[in-house]
Amino acid sequence: MKSRILLFIIFILAMGCTTVEVCDENNDSELVARFKTRHEGAPADTTVSALTLYGIREGLSDSLLYDSISTSGFVVPLDPHHNFSSFVLQINGQADTLVISYDQEIYMISYTCGFANLFTIDDNIELSNGVIKSDTILNDMIDAEYEENEEHIWLYL
Amino acid sequence: MKRMKNISGFISKAAILLFAMALFLPVSGQDSVRVSGQESEAVSGKDTLRTFGPRFGIDLARFFYILADPSEKGAEVSVDFEIYKNIYPVFELGYNSISDIQELFDYSSAGSYGRVGLDYNFLKLKDRSYHHAITLGFRYGMSVFKHNIDNVIVPGDYWGDYLPGPYENNLTGHWVELVGGMKAEVLSNFFLGWSVRYKVLLNPEMDPLMIPELIPGYGTGGEKRAFGFTYSVFYMIPLIKK
Repeated sequence: MKSRILLFIIFILAMGCTTVEVCDENNDSELVARFKTRHEGAPADTTVSALTLYGIREGLSDSLLYDSISTSGFVVPLDPHHNFSSFVLQINGQADTLVISYDQEIYMISYTCGFANLFTIDDNIELSNGVIKSDTILNDMIDAEYEENEEHIWLYL
Repeated sequence: MKRMKNISGFISKAAILLFAMALFLPVSGQDSVRVSGQESEAVSGKDTLRTFGPRFGIDLARFFYILADPSEKGAEVSVDFEIYKNIYPVFELGYNSISDIQELFDYSSAGSYGRVGLDYNFLKLKDRSYHHAITLGFRYGMSVFKHNIDNVIVPGDYWGDYLPGPYENNLTGHWVELVGGMKAEVLSNFFLGWSVRYKVLLNPEMDPLMIPELIPGYGTGGEKRAFGFTYSVFYMIPLIKK
């Protein structure tokens, strides 16, 4: 009888203290970009009425990340297979290509959730067609933990 | 799909250990009755010889841990000696390893550890020929180990899963422990004892890229504080009689 009570106590203790860690759906490290305009020299928030955006993927068909969305910025995963990611942006019908280069290493999110990439983006972001006039890098470290109000780059229209 | 996993390794270890101790309880219970009976018969102990010597121990809890988590293996031995009345310098040596195959990566960590410290026995016994002890003490612990990963998958929906190469790192962990416990001399020079330990990791940032899942002798590297148990059997070599 005594041992049964003890086993019951052990069971309750074991159940009560069990913690559950919930992982994100994916371990993508995502770049957060905001659109800006220069208003009397100072950056000001702006919204584009239709953004279409996709990444240039070798050997894979184009797959839209944004499809004619009205937005003040975008969030895109970076390509861990190369030391750069290329994105095609169509802003109100005009296309531009954005090439972001970086160094990367893997790091452990947690033992349960596994590994992700830590990207450190280079200073010079390539912009080809002049739709985006310039950029500012606010935070060059991009990891898989998404924080609220996190911003990595500003793109000036 | 969300991935979920219970992190209950430590808890299940504790549960198994408690269960194991429960198996031993009837035995040690009878012993304590026998011992206290003898104590009452004994004279105050002034004419009884007290023996001193190095006391060697082996941690039985380690074997029960293997039942809770077969991926983790370990062994631990200890030696202590009453150098001054009620003061016992303690040395502990051990080996600990984990080898785990998971959905997203394979992990292993293995290495040796040592602890050095003091125990103070604050049990006042009228008859000093018995060596029961209730102790409080501290330890400094150091572990030299290697951990590595292989077959890593970084899942990615848009660019595809990324498979980086293996990674390994040689590390040294440092920690301090507060130790409370008791030992009962169940047969002449044979002891059974347990200890509970509160551990504080001194260098949790030892590998910024990969948290060690096992720091041998300490526990999970992701925790800056940890608890530990030992349940040991000891033999004291009676070298000196006073």
